[in-house]
Amino acid sequence: MDQRTSSFSDPKMKILAASVAAVAAAGLVACAGGPTRGADTTGIDWNKVPANKLVLFYPGKSSYEWLRDPAAHKGAASETARGDSCVSCHDDAKEEQRQGAKILSGKHPLEPIALPGKPGHVDVNIQAAYDDKNVYLRYQWKGSNDIEYPYYRFDGKEWKTYGAPRLDKPVQEGKQPAIYEARMSFMLDDGKVPMFKEQGCWLTCHEGERDLNPATKEDVAANAAMKAYKKSDVRKYLPASRSNPSDWRTGKLPDELAKIKAAGGFVDLVQWRAHRSNPVGGADDGYVLEWRNFDAGKNHFASNMNAATKQPNFMFDAARFGARAVSADQVRTKDNFLIKGANAVPFDPNAGWKAGDMLPRYVLQPADATGSAADNKAYGIWKDGMWTVVLVRPLNLANPDDKALKPGGVYSVGFALHDDNITTRGHYVSYTKTLGIGAKADIVAVKLP
Amino acid sequence: MKRNLRPLVAIAALAGGLSLSVPAFAQQFDADAAENVFKDNDCHKCHHATKAKKGPALKKIAAKYKEKKLDEKEAIKHMTAGQKVKLDDGKEEDHKIIDTKDVKVQTNVARWMLSH
Ligand code: HEC
Ligand code: HEC
Repeated sequence: MDQRTSSFSDPKMKILAASVAAVAAAGLVACAGGPTRGADTTGIDWNKVPANKLVLFYPGKSSYEWLRDPAAHKGAASETARGDSCVSCHDDAKEEQRQGAKILSGKHPLEPIALPGKPGHVDVNIQAAYDDKNVYLRYQWKGSNDIEYPYYRFDGKEWKTYGAPRLDKPVQEGKQPAIYEARMSFMLDDGKVPMFKEQGCWLTCHEGERDLNPATKEDVAANAAMKAYKKSDVRKYLPASRSNPSDWRTGKLPDELAKIKAAGGFVDLVQWRAHRSNPVGGADDGYVLEWRNFDAGKNHFASNMNAATKQPNFMFDAARFGARAVSADQVRTKDNFLIKGANAVPFDPNAGWKAGDMLPRYVLQPADATGSAADNKAYGIWKDGMWTVVLVRPLNLANPDDKALKPGGVYSVGFALHDDNITTRGHYVSYTKTLGIGAKADIVAVKLP
Repeated sequence: MKRNLRPLVAIAALAGGLSLSVPAFAQQFDADAAENVFKDNDCHKCHHATKAKKGPALKKIAAKYKEKKLDEKEAIKHMTAGQKVKLDDGKEEDHKIIDTKDVKVQTNVARWMLSH
């Protein structure tokens, strides 16, 4: 195999080799916290790839419904409802900076929770390239090193969650620490979703979702469509999936959704996750239609809770990790990733658990990740206050839950960044940009030599 | 901070043909301060310098005011009275009201708008 990392002869082979190596090394790396994890192994000389500046801003509760409410989005509700693009009005050179600062001012109805000191926007540098196999996106931003995810903590009797995203009530009340993973995501459409080009991610953001005046468990359980989807909460959905797009309760039934999906009426959603995908060289692959779904196949991570026994499925292998569990004072001091095939072993209920023992809520499963859900590779490193993430997505994907990227194609893309132990509405987002694979667009992926 | 001293006399004289009855005073305004108030009030979301958005471009407003010999008092009325505005689709809607009652600030914004 070609070992010259500086050349770019066959990136696919290198990526494959690198991900196998990463999985093999994960046990060691997880212990040592060495620099290998997340290293960009594509061999691309990014100095030769043009850089684009994105400004992502804090949207708070600016849902689809808020944007169409004349008493809220004053002077803009009817234009938004008829499908005008957001940037037909929000086009100032510093618009995102102004909007983010305004929403986080502590006086704006779009963010009722005080988040003192949180910046209203984040600059993200983005570069794009492609060869005859893949598209490569490289993101860089200054942000916090959020590689942790909430845990299960044994309290002497039961395993209860420990840590939560910053906007959660227990964190706001000081009863739990803020713990959540950093994420860098995009939603992408190939022109088949009405209005996505104009209004982007906001089409999927609705009242009833978590942290957006959430629907109650009872309401969801009583709803026929949600029952048909087998879902217990409301997540991102596209307007076409509802007979009334402003009401999550009006979901269309699976037959009808299947037709919309077959016609390409869904958006792809690719999320790089600092805890649940990065340690195993992946980024998850999902799509939004009636819900925020994962693609078919198996994801890079799985729940570490056994619903029947109410105990974790896996614990750390003490021989490889140094201990069976983590304690609260070890959070953020080392790489506490639980990885099958590397440092995870089946949970032993008789291992002498003490109050305060903690295990990750998710187990990473590099060897199990298969199918359309495992299409994307990613490498992310945090150094000196800056994340550098390289995402690799194959060209011409033919899965029914993917939007195929093709040379010459131009796509509408919205970006989102989760920073500082937060999720849901607490992310930073972009207005829609175009991504051209060797074609004219806001962000042009250049052909690699 | 940038201070603009822009004598409108010459333009007014041209617009008025031979008439030189326009008082010869210089319209002063602080462009940076005006632009900040304008943007803090979301005015820029509907009024671009040169491009028509939901509201007319500042250049167009300025040209109309010159032509009709309207002044900043008229402009201030539009930003303070919440008058009905007619939209392209025939619908009507109340115009945005600026969040300050300070006539000096309003005047500064109006002069800056009309300087386009
Ligand atoms: C017709 C012009 C227009 C369009 C189209 C428009 N907006 Fe707005 N938007 C405004 C105006 C004007 C305000 C200020 C409203 C107020 O609070 O008085 C605003 C306010 C906002 C705010 C609150 C923060 C702020 O800047 O005041 C957000 C967030 C926002 N818009 C997002 C969007 C998004 C997302 C879209 C597209 C889906 C969109 N807007 C489309 C004009 C527009
Ligand atoms: C939601 C969109 C919107 C916002 C926000 C907005 N305007 Fe307007 N504005 C309009 C429209 C539409 C007109 C055209 C009215 C007409 O022609 O009847 C107008 C007209 C005006 C005029 C009068 C122009 C003339 O021909 O006499 C002035 C002055 C003005 N706006 C100033 C402002 C200021 C200052 C702000 C911020 C405080 C502001 N506007 C915010 C939509 C807006």
